[in-house]
Amino acid sequence: MYTELHARSAFSFLEGASLPEELAGACAELGIPGMALLDRDGVYGAPRFFLAANKSKICAHVGAEITSEAGWRYPLLVTSQEGYQNLCRLITRMKLRARKGEGHVQIAELADRTAGLICMTGGEEGPLAHALGNGGIKNGIRCMQQLCELFGRTNVYVELQRHLSREEEARNQAAVEIARRLHLPLLATNGVCHAVPQRRQILDVFTCIRNHKNLGSAGRLLSLNSERHLKAPAKMKRLFSDLPEAIANTQELSSRLQFTLNDLGYKFPVYPVPDGATQIHFLRKLSRDGLISRYGNVNERARLQIEHELTVIEKLDLAGYFLIVWDIVRFCRDRGILVQGRGSAANSAVCYALGITAVDPVGMDLLFERFLSEERGEWPDIDLDLPSGEQRERAIQYVYQRYGQLGAAMTANVITYRGRSAAREIGKVLSFDVETISRLTKLVSAWEYKAANDTLANQFHDAGFDLKHPQIRKFFDLCLEVQDLPRHLGQHSGGLVICQGQLDSVVPLEPATMPGRVVVQWDKDDCASMGIVKVDLLGLGMMAVLEESLQIIHKQYGEEIDLGKLPANDPVVYSTLQKADTVGMFQIESRAQMSCLPRLVPKCFYDIVVQVAIIRPGPIVGQMVNPYLKRRQGRETVDYLHPSLEPVLARTLGVPLFQEQLLRMAMIAAGFSGGEAEELRRAFGFKRSEVRMKDIEQKLRLGMTRNHIASEIQEKIILAITSFALYGFPESHAASFALIAYASAYLKCHFLPAFTAAILNNQPMGFYQPATLVKDAQRHGLKVRPVNVTCSDWLCTLEENGEDFAMRLGMRCVTGLRREVAETIVRERAIFPFTSIHDLKLRVPFIHKSELTMLAEIGALNFISGKNSIHRRDALWQVERVARRAGPLLEKIELPAMSEGEFHAEERLYGDEPSGFKTSPLKPMTSEEKLRADFNGTGMTVGPHPMSYHRKKLKRQGVRCASELSSLPNGIPVRIAGAVIARQRPGTAKGFVFLSMEDETGIANAIISPQTYDTYHLIVVHQQFLLIEGQLQNQENVISVKAEVIRPLPIVRVESSSHDFH
Amino acid sequence: MAFASVYVPNFMLQAAVRAEPELRDRAVALVDGDPPLWKIVATNAAARRAGIEIDMGGSQAALFPDIEIRRRSRSQEKMAHAAFLDVGWSASPRVEDNALDTIVLDIAGLTSLFESVKNFAAELTERSASIGLHPNVAVASNVEVAIHAARGFPGITLIPPGEESARLSSLPIEVLLPSIETQETLRRWGIRTYGELATLPVPQLSERLGQEGVRLHELACGVYSRALVLADPETSFEEELALDFAVTELEPLSFLLGRLLDQLCARLTARSLAASAFCLRMELQDSVEEDPQLIRKRSQSNINLRTFEKTLRLPVPMRDSKTLLKLIRLQLQSDPPHGSIVKIILSAEPARPRAGQKGLFVPDSPDPEKLEITMMRLAGLVGNANVGSPQLVNTHRPGEFRMAPFSPAAQESHFAHKYVATKTALKEKETSPQSHRTAIAFRRFRPELAANVDSQEGRPCLIYFRGMRGNVIAASGPWRTSGDWWEERGWRQDEWDIEIHFDSSAKKQNSRAIPQNGLYRVYYDWVRRSWFVRGRYD
Repeated sequence: MYTELHARSAFSFLEGASLPEELAGACAELGIPGMALLDRDGVYGAPRFFLAANKSKICAHVGAEITSEAGWRYPLLVTSQEGYQNLCRLITRMKLRARKGEGHVQIAELADRTAGLICMTGGEEGPLAHALGNGGIKNGIRCMQQLCELFGRTNVYVELQRHLSREEEARNQAAVEIARRLHLPLLATNGVCHAVPQRRQILDVFTCIRNHKNLGSAGRLLSLNSERHLKAPAKMKRLFSDLPEAIANTQELSSRLQFTLNDLGYKFPVYPVPDGATQIHFLRKLSRDGLISRYGNVNERARLQIEHELTVIEKLDLAGYFLIVWDIVRFCRDRGILVQGRGSAANSAVCYALGITAVDPVGMDLLFERFLSEERGEWPDIDLDLPSGEQRERAIQYVYQRYGQLGAAMTANVITYRGRSAAREIGKVLSFDVETISRLTKLVSAWEYKAANDTLANQFHDAGFDLKHPQIRKFFDLCLEVQDLPRHLGQHSGGLVICQGQLDSVVPLEPATMPGRVVVQWDKDDCASMGIVKVDLLGLGMMAVLEESLQIIHKQYGEEIDLGKLPANDPVVYSTLQKADTVGMFQIESRAQMSCLPRLVPKCFYDIVVQVAIIRPGPIVGQMVNPYLKRRQGRETVDYLHPSLEPVLARTLGVPLFQEQLLRMAMIAAGFSGGEAEELRRAFGFKRSEVRMKDIEQKLRLGMTRNHIASEIQEKIILAITSFALYGFPESHAASFALIAYASAYLKCHFLPAFTAAILNNQPMGFYQPATLVKDAQRHGLKVRPVNVTCSDWLCTLEENGEDFAMRLGMRCVTGLRREVAETIVRERAIFPFTSIHDLKLRVPFIHKSELTMLAEIGALNFISGKNSIHRRDALWQVERVARRAGPLLEKIELPAMSEGEFHAEERLYGDEPSGFKTSPLKPMTSEEKLRADFNGTGMTVGPHPMSYHRKKLKRQGVRCASELSSLPNGIPVRIAGAVIARQRPGTAKGFVFLSMEDETGIANAIISPQTYDTYHLIVVHQQFLLIEGQLQNQENVISVKAEVIRPLPIVRVESSSHDFH
Repeated sequence: MAFASVYVPNFMLQAAVRAEPELRDRAVALVDGDPPLWKIVATNAAARRAGIEIDMGGSQAALFPDIEIRRRSRSQEKMAHAAFLDVGWSASPRVEDNALDTIVLDIAGLTSLFESVKNFAAELTERSASIGLHPNVAVASNVEVAIHAARGFPGITLIPPGEESARLSSLPIEVLLPSIETQETLRRWGIRTYGELATLPVPQLSERLGQEGVRLHELACGVYSRALVLADPETSFEEELALDFAVTELEPLSFLLGRLLDQLCARLTARSLAASAFCLRMELQDSVEEDPQLIRKRSQSNINLRTFEKTLRLPVPMRDSKTLLKLIRLQLQSDPPHGSIVKIILSAEPARPRAGQKGLFVPDSPDPEKLEITMMRLAGLVGNANVGSPQLVNTHRPGEFRMAPFSPAAQESHFAHKYVATKTALKEKETSPQSHRTAIAFRRFRPELAANVDSQEGRPCLIYFRGMRGNVIAASGPWRTSGDWWEERGWRQDEWDIEIHFDSSAKKQNSRAIPQNGLYRVYYDWVRRSWFVRGRYD
């Protein structure tokens, strides 16, 4: 029998062309009993290979190719846990001292860590080939002796690979000679780089990408042939028929490789508890304290729930995990960092009592088993939302400090080749010119929804590419082939893994691109599969907005707002929500949410929870939205799929909207335990486990039949579960988000200036561009002032404006202006106000001409000389003068600072009139020019909306304002026009496109049918301003225009942008 | 002083239409680049109206109905330009070759020949039209004013002295062709026309835009003054001979060619120049089209049978008409024209003559002229593509090489190189893993020999080639190579090194001496699905 002991997967990053799952699949197909995955400098693909191999009942050996100082590689195999730990530490050490993606092992390091490792001699990149190439047999013998000294004579195998190459065979003959002389065992491998021969093309493409070449110029860097694929044992036997022992030894060596990833030796850290207490005792104490502060002394239900949860936690030995998360939350609270647990953790009363989550699971009757159960046999998952940016970084650094650099690390995020990245790289490899590549990559994006005639072939044809052309066809095929193959390792946005003792002995660590960060070689799913505990510290833009809003309110209004104690049922908030006036509000601002809000008419907090959860693919695909809304409006009777389900579905009027409801439905209807129900959810949500899904579906049917549920009802229940499980929110998660949504709505309604400043300061985030946010705030009465170097800070700030506040745009809004420049401007003007643009240039000498020009162009320099304002073109005229470099003679001479008078004198000397300094021969900008400059320089305008300049003309054409539409009757033909601020073609909308168009009075919505879209798709996609004719739809206060004719609006062309969801 | 500027708008397209006048009333677009990556570089108004845009992909443009798409031809443009210059020289001896699409004429004293300046401009337009170009013509007392007016105003523009600034003021600033940076600054300043630029104060403009600003200002005011940069008509060395009677034989043709060469070489000698290349173009009689074979050949290969063209690239610049005639004769012998010749155009590419001194201790090498003649003779025997120095190509494809022009290296460096190469080879031999084995030479068959091979258990056992039959007594392989899978010329081959014992009965049938045993390299070509013998080991 033959075992393949040297294979690389695509996790060797550009040196392998098949995923570990494909390799495992091919092994199973070819009857190979086992395979060793040796990725380059890592065990990146090991968990995925291990899982896939387990499924196929294949032995998954672990190893890696480790780069030596000279550039060749040691192919190492792991025999034991000690060997695995040594390998991980070796990799960690070499990686951590090198730049990202580089590193090599030093021979001294290797000498200390060879126990449990077996060294092969590799193929053309191995030590023996290198030695033979640099000194023939003699050197080869010397090399083998060194390897024997390092690893021990019994742990070195002379590897033979046969890829039908003369050169390689010559090397093999030398290797056999050396093995005979030194009495070392021979080992046949195939140095596998891809599962099937056809994948060699991808390997060649990767070789080109790695070497920055194209296929035409890569020459002999490309593969000699396609022989590096997995070969059946019989074929390998034939290949090595002259050396049968080389094949036999694969089996012998495979039996020595006892280590599997089941024996990782991972332990979660022990939380240091006060003297005399155990972790569970300490957790009980904290939970009881929390119970009193959250529920008071009298809530028996809560007490019982907490006791139940603590029993489960104790049984599963998870007290340490809860304490560690509590510790992180405590750290954040102590430092005033907003933090809130989200996800299924909000189902836990213990988490609520510990202050990890903010939603009361007892009051909301949430299902604890959705979070943790004895049956599941896996770690719970607690996600913490933190303000994005510096605050989150502080929390992450705290974890590093607390558990040490080798005790905690971020989980990786495997960046794979997706549509555009694949197209760009393949285009380069096929030597397409830049423009063609960009045209081709644009093609690949496509919408989320694919119409029947929206095939890639049609798209290629429309863009003028003929798929019958061999080169274009090859491009197309390669793009498809390369999809989902790993490209490089990134860092997950917030997943942290923590380990008792040395994490580097469990999984190799690498430096992340961000300084001070360490990342493990596995992504979060792999970590979860391998049983490594993860805490997600996620950055949430809205948390940062809330935090900053509170700071601004404290500073400007002198008020302290506690988000935990916001007035419930605030009438202003609910009336705003009912009108769908929700631009900028968390989770409820999208077009779909806005079209639902007037129908749902939220009146209490739970309505917001429903609102957050209902606009999700699950409820939409499962056709739950309309029944729920109709029942809510009393237009449809409330009924339940089965009478037994009434308690579960009662509060959502018989319509399942949350994941927990599905789980409870399974528990009630089919008699599932909590753990089984959760297993069901995971099975439906997990793409790759179709068999498991079928098993559970069967179990579900059996249970329901046992409970005498009719088969048609069974079908309905199963349909509800299948369409919903993956894409629905857990109720706890929706509740956590609803809290943030309510807080954002409250702040926007009551502290608009502070909220607007904060949301602009945290861009990019949310659904709308700053231009839309500013216009919305202006329509709500906020006075927004433009950027002005004499009073703008880097961030947007509030200025007094009578009894209220106006908002001053910060210099961060200026395109291309560096933060250090803005901060120097602020510092300098605090010392002494600027007297002129020349003065500014002298005092901020490192400001670039482009930055000065941009400031002048948007009018930020108009007031630099005090109250005698100049116009934008005056400023541009002066900028051109002060920014001009001196000639070579004077270039290095530092000019002394000049007073304005001196400068005027100098101007006189050179023929300029003093007044010429203040003014210019240029004409002021027209309104249209100012508008264009504003959009070009800040992406927005604080002046009138671009549409307002054309209102008279548009009125003559019969175009209605957005604000007029609500007063018009349903069904009449209308014309609307505006700037497109969002385009959506959701996968769930059967090809319909939704447009949001803004004018000076508000936002109008248009719906484009697939047929109309086919006719006008180029205009819809490419034009910034549109005029739409169609029928007004005013149903249940949801107003939109069903487009029939779409025309571009030939008005000023500004660099505004929309939020497009393709 | 008066100057006339003639500017051909949309020159690229006009040059194409000039070559194909029937396109004049059609919607035409020019593409540049190679398919599938070609794109539109010029269009006429009809094509623009139909929706064709510059930079659009060629295949995309091809989807539009009724659009004539032609490939951009630089030679057409060059010829159009040469003809354009001819128009200039036909009207004035003092011509500036300003750009491919612009010429300027000094017309001082010439207008009396045409009665008025306007008539002169009209005559220029007419003469240009006669060569298929439709220009704008502007006459002014200043070279630059004339150029800018021609670029900016359609038709004929006459600008009397003193009115320059006023007349130019409405022109858009882009006609000035400022640098991108300056154009951007002017845009920001809201300066859109010459007139607006002219109002800006010069000293302040100079402080802001430097010398470029001052120059642009003067141009905008129409006061930038410079002398005409006269084009030298002698830079193109071309001789032409139209024949009353068609020539069909090489001998009389040689006589005529000799005359043309003598004239050209004399002109080159007078200017102390030599020729680095000659282009011979011959126009052939129409009657050749009657030959159905030739008509078929033309339709297959898309060759224009009315002309015959040959370019003779020389290894060193030469001007010896006798040597040159020999070379041209050799070329014509190996590839004769396919019809009777009615016109001969011979042009020379001028270059500095060869000057060099040989090393004192360097052995003499063949005279380059003689060497070239020898090379040409060889090319006549074996074909142009099969002469030169072989060069290895960076590929795994077995036996792949390309022929580069034969150019012996300079003597000193040649010897140094040879020494270093030998030393390196020796060192490599010492250190190579195979150094313990005896090297054998491999004699490659070109072309490779077709063979029939019988296999047993996947290994060759019997082989037939060159009328011989042999048993394979040992075989090593297969050695597999494949590549260029992204192209149509992808390959996949399995090579075998085989020892053949030739059948003695075959010996009798074949008159050639056949070795008893032989070591050969054979391969199976998976694309052609056939066996071949690649060569023999000595």
